[in-house]
Amino acid sequence: MVKVYSINNCPWCDKVKKYLKSKHVEFEEHNIEENDADRDACYALTGDLVVPITTANDKDYVLSFDKAKLDALLGL
Amino acid sequence: MEKTRIHKDIIIIGAGMAGLTAALYAGRMNMDVLVLENGIIGGQIANATGIENYPGFAKVSGKDLIETLQQQAESFGAEVDEFDVIQKVSLQSTPKIVETDEHIYEADVIIIASGMNRRKLPLPEEGRYAGKGVHYCELCDGHMYQDKIIAVMGGGNAAVDAANFLSKYAKKIYLIHRSEIRADEVSWQRLQDNPKAEIFLQTEVKRLQGESRLESIEVQDKGTGENRQLQVDGIFVNIGVVPNTELFQDELSLTASGRIAAGEDCRTAIPGVFAAGDVREKEIRQLTTAAADGTTAALLAEKYIVKLKEGN
Repeated sequence: MVKVYSINNCPWCDKVKKYLKSKHVEFEEHNIEENDADRDACYALTGDLVVPITTANDKDYVLSFDKAKLDALLGL
Repeated sequence: MEKTRIHKDIIIIGAGMAGLTAALYAGRMNMDVLVLENGIIGGQIANATGIENYPGFAKVSGKDLIETLQQQAESFGAEVDEFDVIQKVSLQSTPKIVETDEHIYEADVIIIASGMNRRKLPLPEEGRYAGKGVHYCELCDGHMYQDKIIAVMGGGNAAVDAANFLSKYAKKIYLIHRSEIRADEVSWQRLQDNPKAEIFLQTEVKRLQGESRLESIEVQDKGTGENRQLQVDGIFVNIGVVPNTELFQDELSLTASGRIAAGEDCRTAIPGVFAAGDVREKEIRQLTTAAADGTTAALLAEKYIVKLKEGN
């Protein structure tokens, strides 16, 4: 399952989510402001807490909105 | 895969206040209008947490204001695409051409409302700390600094509002600016009254320091020449903006500040090409003046198209 690590009121997080929806990609949103476990998982994945982070395998990830990289990561 | 060719009456480049206002007016005149946005819908104001100087709203977030405006424009038929990235434009040709990742658009009129981006911190080590202590989006990255020490660089409204906003996370906020404050009195007084804030004016940031991420900055008092170290966990940069004109610099004359030369009627030197909002050279750049530009550009664009179709 595709995961998007995000926070509230984040324009780039919103853009990533809108893009995934436009491509009919199902994803789970993990809000690192509201959930400590998600915060820890995001940090473990990237070594930082910059968002949005998109991952499909909990290993490779795309930081922020980068259409070409998201397409490559998700096989779009 | 061959790109599809699509004709539009008006293509608006940029979905900030100017671009979406133009889309609203063009939509209401039954124009076939497309708005293309390579960045964030709303542009600079998408990051504004509390706008208090837009007439009719006591206080509104940039997100709420721009979402309403987008819905308003779309309700009158305007189409907004924030994912199809513009590759190149041809403004001199007839019709005008906008080539994106997926399409080749032809248009009778192009309204350039591409706005501005934040100026990067002009220090050689900026890239090393980008995202690791150096930030440009308070809304996106402020949460990382709960109970930490944050510096904000800049002296305009954006910087002072950023410092006020970030104080909800930080245990201490430094505002550092190389000259005098240019923010409005209300925001500035709010920061001065903030017990977490310490303000350094006439002060330059000279160096960023830290191992794997930012740990401190060296600042210099411009009056005395004295250097001092400030322990900071993050620095948010608000030192001005640069116009988004790269796509157009081969065809349009730019002013010394990099903006597009166009008068109050928003007409550029190329017939059928208008410049609206902060990307247009003008003295006052506010949300209200961006909305005014969007209005002017759309209304004159419609007149231009009518004449074009009449063969004049």
